[in-house]
Amino acid sequence: MNLVKDLCATLDQMVNDQFESVEFKNFLAVPLTLERGRFYVVQNALYTSNRRDCWGYVQGGAPLDVKRVIWEHESDELINDPRAGMDHYTLTVKQGEVIGLKPEDFETAEVPAMVQACFHAWHHIAMRNHWLTAYTASHMLERRNNGKIVKGGGMSYRVGKKFENELGINLKRMISLDVHVVADMEHSENISEMFERYVKTPADCERVLHGARDSMAIDRAYRGALGYYMEQIE
Amino acid sequence: MWDELVRLCNEQFASPPFRRLLNTKFTQERAQHYSIQMAYYVQNRRDCWGYVQGSAPLDIKQVIWRHEEDELIGRKAQGKVDHITLAVKEGEVFGLSAAAFERTARLEGGEVCFSAWIRLSQRAWLEAIAASAILEMRNSGELIQGGSLSRRIGAIFARDLGIPMKKQINNAEHVVMDVEHAQMLMQVARKYATAESARQAILDGAKESLMIDRVYRGHLADMLEALN
Repeated sequence: MNLVKDLCATLDQMVNDQFESVEFKNFLAVPLTLERGRFYVVQNALYTSNRRDCWGYVQGGAPLDVKRVIWEHESDELINDPRAGMDHYTLTVKQGEVIGLKPEDFETAEVPAMVQACFHAWHHIAMRNHWLTAYTASHMLERRNNGKIVKGGGMSYRVGKKFENELGINLKRMISLDVHVVADMEHSENISEMFERYVKTPADCERVLHGARDSMAIDRAYRGALGYYMEQIE
Repeated sequence: MWDELVRLCNEQFASPPFRRLLNTKFTQERAQHYSIQMAYYVQNRRDCWGYVQGSAPLDIKQVIWRHEEDELIGRKAQGKVDHITLAVKEGEVFGLSAAAFERTARLEGGEVCFSAWIRLSQRAWLEAIAASAILEMRNSGELIQGGSLSRRIGAIFARDLGIPMKKQINNAEHVVMDVEHAQMLMQVARKYATAESARQAILDGAKESLMIDRVYRGHLADMLEALN
């Protein structure tokens, strides 16, 4: 039995199962209008900011070599992704131009109640748990976006296709979604390598699975919330 | 506020724990143990800055990320290594091997101080960033009359062990880098300390961190006194 191989197979199954959940199905079934699309893009920028918070906390708690891997990871996200020529928050704001959003729409955006609760929950895992649990919780959201692992495509790909099919906006023009289709494959693979180095016992496995389960539960709640709020928009 | 922070940093050096530490005569054994414990201190700084990066606004996250490049990665283009590697490399002049760093435990009192600093770094971001940045202000030769902590320790190593500052590569690096890094809190304050509550948060974080710093230096002085 290969501990890490089996663990990764379980994680792969978990990210695939997300798309079978009622929350994901409902979110992906909400018909897109331009207003709903704008809401989603603004919310996605806030989600990206929350990811930056959590990865910072994970970096704080992790061993030195893992800190370095996370620092490199945050280079794309926070400073400059060579694929896009800008950081990922700027990329999301720029993507908004395609659907008529201005930078101030992002600056003044409110975080809806159910979304706020999810963001706090992700913060909690990142800051208050063993580093392997915290690390996995953040990693799983990129694994769930990795089209090499998720059959039918990761979340960014599927949402990008919705913009294409329902609003007629080509995925290539949704520059943030398009970059994440590729970036999260690379990120989740780089980060995944750390399991090989640090998961040695069943207790380590349980720490990883704890983070994965909790983060995927929050992710379902988050997507359920987005679906709910989008349905409220005429 | 800035003047008050600078005053507090200068006052550290007049405190009994700092005076005890800086009045210690260093032997090779004492220098070795001091060097190892300082590598742990540097590691704790990386923990704390990570947490601060997590809670700070996006533009400050970017500033911290760049700050951590020097500390965690090094400036490869300039041939500079990260500061942990630098600390271990500096240990060679005291007769330390890399293995000595791995097999020597953290000082108990140090461990408690590290936990306290981590707790502080998980507070609201202005308090948290002040707590971490003040330690670099305390190490800035531009702000501290009579020389920063790294400068003073370096001078003691030169006096007691005959090791010139240029051979103390970690101390020498921090003498330079912390002058630059010490400006970070000013940069933050200019943009974000516009209300009295924000200025108070910065002062609170700085004061609490300096208190832990005094306790930590006291533990280091105790450790050195117990060695030959």
